[in-house]
Amino acid sequence: MGPPPGPIDSPFPSEPVHKPRSSALAVSPPDDPKKHTPLSAAGSGWRPLDTMSLGSWIIVAIAVVSSVIVLALPVPDRPGLEFWTFARNHSKMYAPLSERWNRRVEETGEGELMNLYQLEFTALERRTLNGFWAGTPLADLIEIEGGSFYKFVTGPLEDVGFVDLTDLLHDEGIYETLNAPSLTAWTNRGRVFGLPHDVHPVLLAYRADIVEDELGIDVSTIQTWDDFARVMSAAKADFDGDGRIDRYPLSFWFNDVGALEVLMLQAGGGTFDADDNIIVASEANARVLATAVSWCFGEDRIAIDAPEFDAGGNQLKLDGRVVCAMMPDWLAGIWKSDLPQLGGKIKLMPLPAWEPGGRRTSVRGGTMLGIPRATVEAGEFEDAWAFAKYLYLAEEVARELFLTANIISPVKSYWDRPFYHEPDPYFSGQPSGTLYIDQAPHVPPRTSHPFRVVATTEIGRAANSLRNYADARGVYDVESLLPEARRLLAEAQEQVLKRMERNVFLQIETAGGETDNADTDADAGGSS
Amino acid sequence: MKGHKLAPYLFVAPFLTLFLVFIVYPLLQSVALAFMQTNGPISREFVGLSNFDWLFSVDRDFWTSILNILIYTAGSMFIQLPAALGLAMLLNRQDVKARGFWRMIFFAPILVGLVFVAIIFGLLFAPNNGIINLFLNGFTGWLNAWVPFYPDAWVFDIEFRWTAEYAMPALIIASFWMYVGFNMIYFLAALQNVSKDLMEAAEVDGAGPWQRFLNVTIPAIRPVGTFVVLLSLIGSVQLFELPYLLIGPDGGPGQKGLTPVMHLFAEGFDKGDLGYASAIGWLIAVVLFGVALVQKKLADPGTE
Repeated sequence: MGPPPGPIDSPFPSEPVHKPRSSALAVSPPDDPKKHTPLSAAGSGWRPLDTMSLGSWIIVAIAVVSSVIVLALPVPDRPGLEFWTFARNHSKMYAPLSERWNRRVEETGEGELMNLYQLEFTALERRTLNGFWAGTPLADLIEIEGGSFYKFVTGPLEDVGFVDLTDLLHDEGIYETLNAPSLTAWTNRGRVFGLPHDVHPVLLAYRADIVEDELGIDVSTIQTWDDFARVMSAAKADFDGDGRIDRYPLSFWFNDVGALEVLMLQAGGGTFDADDNIIVASEANARVLATAVSWCFGEDRIAIDAPEFDAGGNQLKLDGRVVCAMMPDWLAGIWKSDLPQLGGKIKLMPLPAWEPGGRRTSVRGGTMLGIPRATVEAGEFEDAWAFAKYLYLAEEVARELFLTANIISPVKSYWDRPFYHEPDPYFSGQPSGTLYIDQAPHVPPRTSHPFRVVATTEIGRAANSLRNYADARGVYDVESLLPEARRLLAEAQEQVLKRMERNVFLQIETAGGETDNADTDADAGGSS
Repeated sequence: MKGHKLAPYLFVAPFLTLFLVFIVYPLLQSVALAFMQTNGPISREFVGLSNFDWLFSVDRDFWTSILNILIYTAGSMFIQLPAALGLAMLLNRQDVKARGFWRMIFFAPILVGLVFVAIIFGLLFAPNNGIINLFLNGFTGWLNAWVPFYPDAWVFDIEFRWTAEYAMPALIIASFWMYVGFNMIYFLAALQNVSKDLMEAAEVDGAGPWQRFLNVTIPAIRPVGTFVVLLSLIGSVQLFELPYLLIGPDGGPGQKGLTPVMHLFAEGFDKGDLGYASAIGWLIAVVLFGVALVQKKLADPGTE
């Protein structure tokens, strides 16, 4: 494109004009015709390219066209209720169930249609908090993961955004049908805020091809963690002869607070007991902490860090560089989906106990289904509650839950159904459902105390300090580490207590005498 | 005439409205919030100076985050910026072939974004089979096997993200990769404005390369250098996404990857105490303001 022609009726002379630089109408000499542009528009009419470059016009055109398209696109009108979940496997499982529900609603005209949405975990958590705190739109039913439930109960009970289901569960006789430990995770100050989705007992998964076929180990001889460390040390192997161990018996790392909590709960410790008393500095926790460090360092190391949901961690499992892993039922489903290559090579056994005859399981993870108070205000509670019961309490859903995700339903009356007790090819023909159900009643109760995560963070800090202590002295045996573990946990507990004392909202409730103990059945989770 | 008097106000009204609603009002609110304890925006209780008292006397995480950020800033100042300047000087030389290509290569990491960098370095630093650990382990293992008296303790098998003392080096390495080319561009622009006449005059006067660098180049690029230092300082104090994704929302083992902004975020948006988060925010703001004042003082030509 050539330079724009000179103005015909321009009020300015066409020969070079030397104006001061400060003039807004400064004109370039005619030998640089591109710089005439501001004036040309004043003369022979508006020319688009005098105003903006071609590129700018293209950008404007794209912006206008795309805006028009977006505005013109019809917004799908989805009548009915909204349901948010965060888990891919949940979403896959719920989709056909929601469709079935919706077909029934359309056929009978009773109830409300359900629209299922899978949100990314953090997005769901953040949007839910925003909804409770700032009144932004929320779904009518929301699934919440155990690790984040505390965020919703940090203030006074009247600030909790989920509907208190306690009385309803008792009135409808649902409370008694559910596995008691499954309710504790969603119970705060004696009130239940969600329907439990699961039980999540933890077993020990091991590579049968290595443990039994290659090493000839009889796992029935392993009753305690001490047995495990002694017997499974035989699985340590140096593949390349460089003098360094390439294969370890256990997937675990000393400062993974999630895994530490699993072991502490199994040992009878944890962060808060069923009466909301802090137990960070308990003897059980100290022993677990000292043992955890002894597993990961020193001559008798037996653990390697092979994290879940991690490409590197999965590769270690596929390469046979780790032999055993603590496996809640949901993780069994994840392994089936993400590590199908291990099918037929894995077996399950109860967790080794902390002392002979002790508890052979623990608990990790968990999901609840809550109904926001906004749903009640919108007059939709009855329909939302009906769907919640359909999804979480129906037998067909329990079956789907197990067959698609390997998750045991908290509804105890279904535990004798045949689908739980069939041989599972992934676990070398073992009936994995039976193994998990056998341990389900013994799952330790968990706390949903608002300061649980503060407590686990402090435990993690203590774990790191204990490791430093061990390194500095070159001692890695449990008995040598125990006194320091006790001291560090006492310090951790003090920190948590200081934080709790600072929380004015919980103090106000305590002063008002509203702080009831959790209405939980601790006995139900007693040791086996 | 009346309309003419109103016109300026009408013109500035849209900006002023947005400024008052989205900047001034939240700022004033945050001042008030700093003296309260909240449970989200719903419940709030006036607690006086308690937030600041807690911040200064009890909150170990906050001081850990401050220490972390000082280490990170030192890493930026003493490793990243000199490297950026060195690269800029190298790529400013006329005899370097394909200078444009190399400039693009070094600048490219900034284009991919922090989230991507965090994910990539998460894989690189993966324990046991991450490529960096494999290389370190293989190389130091080889040295151990072949070099007499090579200590066993120097064979590295690093759990980068799970080992407290390696969290910060991992962060510094990741941010080095990302920002060194970005800072290089600033230095490159400054170097291209260094007076050639002055440089030649210094050479004629017998100044060697090091003297020319110290007495001609450095003074000439000082304003840009001070600006880059300030940008790096502010960026360091505001560090959030990279450690949040690479090390973890809680700052990893021993909170060695925790930064003040991550701590602010956790207190305000995880625990719901917007009041305490405001107190942290104001402290960070005061520190940044102080840094900016120092920078202004240093950059002021009158101080030369």
